[in-house]
Amino acid sequence: MNLASVIVGHPGERAALIDGDRTVTYGELRASVAAIQQRIVEAGFGPDDRIVLAAGNEPLFAAGAFAIMAAGATVVPINPFSPVLELKRKLETVDPSLILVGEEGHWIIGDPDAPRTPMIDMTTLKPSDVQPEIVARHDDDIAFMLLTSGVSGDSKVAMLSHKNLDWIQESITGPEGLNRDDVTLGSLPFAHIFGLNAVLLTSLRLGAKVVLQRRFDVDESLRLIRLHKVTSLTGAPPMWQRWATADAPDDSLQSIKHATSGAAFLPIDTYTAIKERYGVEIGEGYGLTETSPVVTWSRGVDIKPTSVGKPLAGVEVVLVEADGTPVDEGDTGEIVVRSPGVFKGYLDAPEITSQVLTEDGWFWTGDVGVFDSDGYLYLVDRVKDLIIVSGFNVYPADVENVIMEHPDVRGAVVVGTPHGMTGEAVVAHVSGDVSEQDLDAFVRMRLAGYKCPSKYLFVDELPIAPTGKLIRRELR
Amino acid sequence: MMATKPSFNFEPAPDLPGADRVSKYGFGAVRKFVERMWDIEIEGIENVPLEGPGIITPNHLSFSDSIFVPTALPRRVWAIGKGEYMDDWKTKHIFPAMGMIPVDRSGGDAAQRALDTAARVLDGGHLFMIYPEGTRSRSGNLHKGRTGAARLAIRCNAPIIPVGHEGTLEIQPPDSVMLKPFKTCSVRFGRQMRAEEFGDPNDPRVLRLFTDAVMFEVAKLSGQTYVDTYAGAPTRPAAETKKGPAVSVPKGRQIDLR
Repeated sequence: MNLASVIVGHPGERAALIDGDRTVTYGELRASVAAIQQRIVEAGFGPDDRIVLAAGNEPLFAAGAFAIMAAGATVVPINPFSPVLELKRKLETVDPSLILVGEEGHWIIGDPDAPRTPMIDMTTLKPSDVQPEIVARHDDDIAFMLLTSGVSGDSKVAMLSHKNLDWIQESITGPEGLNRDDVTLGSLPFAHIFGLNAVLLTSLRLGAKVVLQRRFDVDESLRLIRLHKVTSLTGAPPMWQRWATADAPDDSLQSIKHATSGAAFLPIDTYTAIKERYGVEIGEGYGLTETSPVVTWSRGVDIKPTSVGKPLAGVEVVLVEADGTPVDEGDTGEIVVRSPGVFKGYLDAPEITSQVLTEDGWFWTGDVGVFDSDGYLYLVDRVKDLIIVSGFNVYPADVENVIMEHPDVRGAVVVGTPHGMTGEAVVAHVSGDVSEQDLDAFVRMRLAGYKCPSKYLFVDELPIAPTGKLIRRELR
Repeated sequence: MMATKPSFNFEPAPDLPGADRVSKYGFGAVRKFVERMWDIEIEGIENVPLEGPGIITPNHLSFSDSIFVPTALPRRVWAIGKGEYMDDWKTKHIFPAMGMIPVDRSGGDAAQRALDTAARVLDGGHLFMIYPEGTRSRSGNLHKGRTGAARLAIRCNAPIIPVGHEGTLEIQPPDSVMLKPFKTCSVRFGRQMRAEEFGDPNDPRVLRLFTDAVMFEVAKLSGQTYVDTYAGAPTRPAAETKKGPAVSVPKGRQIDLR
């Protein structure tokens, strides 16, 4: 199947995208897709070409993505707000044959540092009534290549097949999931799997309406939610924090039926603030680019705060020890996942792929979790971030949470450092107005000895990625 | 620090089948015999509650641990033992006398029945002993703790008393039936630990945090090196198969040997 075909049957007059004052219907979207696809084919590109999509959360992102897939090629979306040099480095990894440029990525045209790859300026194309044939694709053919967020350090390109994305879309729709009458807010970046597949592509598959927000702004997002009666709101924790404290009426989220948080750990204070203020319960989900992305979610089940919900039907989730043995029931272990949504590997990186993906389809996520007796998953930390002190596991999040309980601490990041006696020792980077002695005494009362930092380093600011994840490697 | 050992309290047994197979005099005779034959050095006895529930969690090196740790306690203690011990002449008298409650370990709900029995002991205000490693350590290292003790502590609102001992391997070397007399072993009790110290007891993440903290104390008390893997072969085949088969490991995965 070709994933580009999912928008074919929707009524032409039905609203697909809202972009500021403009409404793009499914008919207009298809006409735009047709024009771009024609241009791609005329330029001599087609099946298995990698085509970069340099567009933001704008109609041309959706049109460009469907056009590239319809031509049988692979979509490589990039965040057009990245600095040009970073963009260049990323493009070198992908080695695309063509770049499609939208409004938000328009600056690339004519930029002296821009790559010399051929470009198509989508903003100049007139819609077309003639829909070229959608090129047939196999389930395992690659629809999207996504640059992983890079929090783990080395930037990788995850390859997702038509089937990967299709299966997740189908799984998260229906009575418990997204529906045709839902209105979603598209403010998560579409170049990221969460905004891409869980919001944009699934909504368009259903014939639902997506309200676009090109750059997140808390006041503007609340205005759009009210104006367009958004029913399904999906955000990353920093967005939820902003909504929790926004200068807005308490009925601002009254149209919301489903609220979802993902991409990073949602603080319980944020969950509580949203619930108390707006009467909306945020359900957390868990997923990764490599799993297209949904592994667990909180829809169709009672929400348990701080849990990331239950596995999506059809997703096998096992918690294991390093040798693959499942841990005891109720014990913590690395989360290992198998589903039709699990990716096809990293581009041109068989060794890195072989470190996380087995031949029989198990993806080792590198995340540590635990199930409660009702089958809800709770995340503990990253395997990579684990600090081993005298053989004992120290999860940085566990230590960070205790440090953060101190009223004068603003932020904390804990990392491991080699230590002659204990193998590794715990080092805490802290921002806040607190003395080392006070903090150390505070922590020692609350943590076992081996978990207490042997060193505190006070910093003005901690490195935080746009998704709200702390970038630990910058502190190692 | 050596504290004065409180006088022994032969408290009435919990109301469970097989829990009271010994008289006060028979029990006293066994204790006396053990104390005469071996020198038991006890430390931290003040950490053991003299009344109310408590979970005793020792390291496990030898069968004789089940004799020396209970003998070091100032109160009677109960533990779950395999039903098969009751079929063997070597163990059928001494183990129940030391507080073993036989539980049939066959069938799928064996683990749950054992846990329920343990909870009844604790809810009755008694001491309960469980080896957190689940089985004897063959390597001599202290292995990763199973979370059963922490689970019980939360369910019954009972403290865990970590225990580390040394010397039982010399008294009863591996695979030896007989105990070598006139040797010394040390039994050390650590501070009482409660689940609330490690977060909200309803949070499933607390089980592992609590268990690791207990094992850290056991390692300090026993002097063993800790290794973060479960001890020995599976002890409960039924429960093991219920967990499902092992998941394949990615070929290129580098095992982190920090």
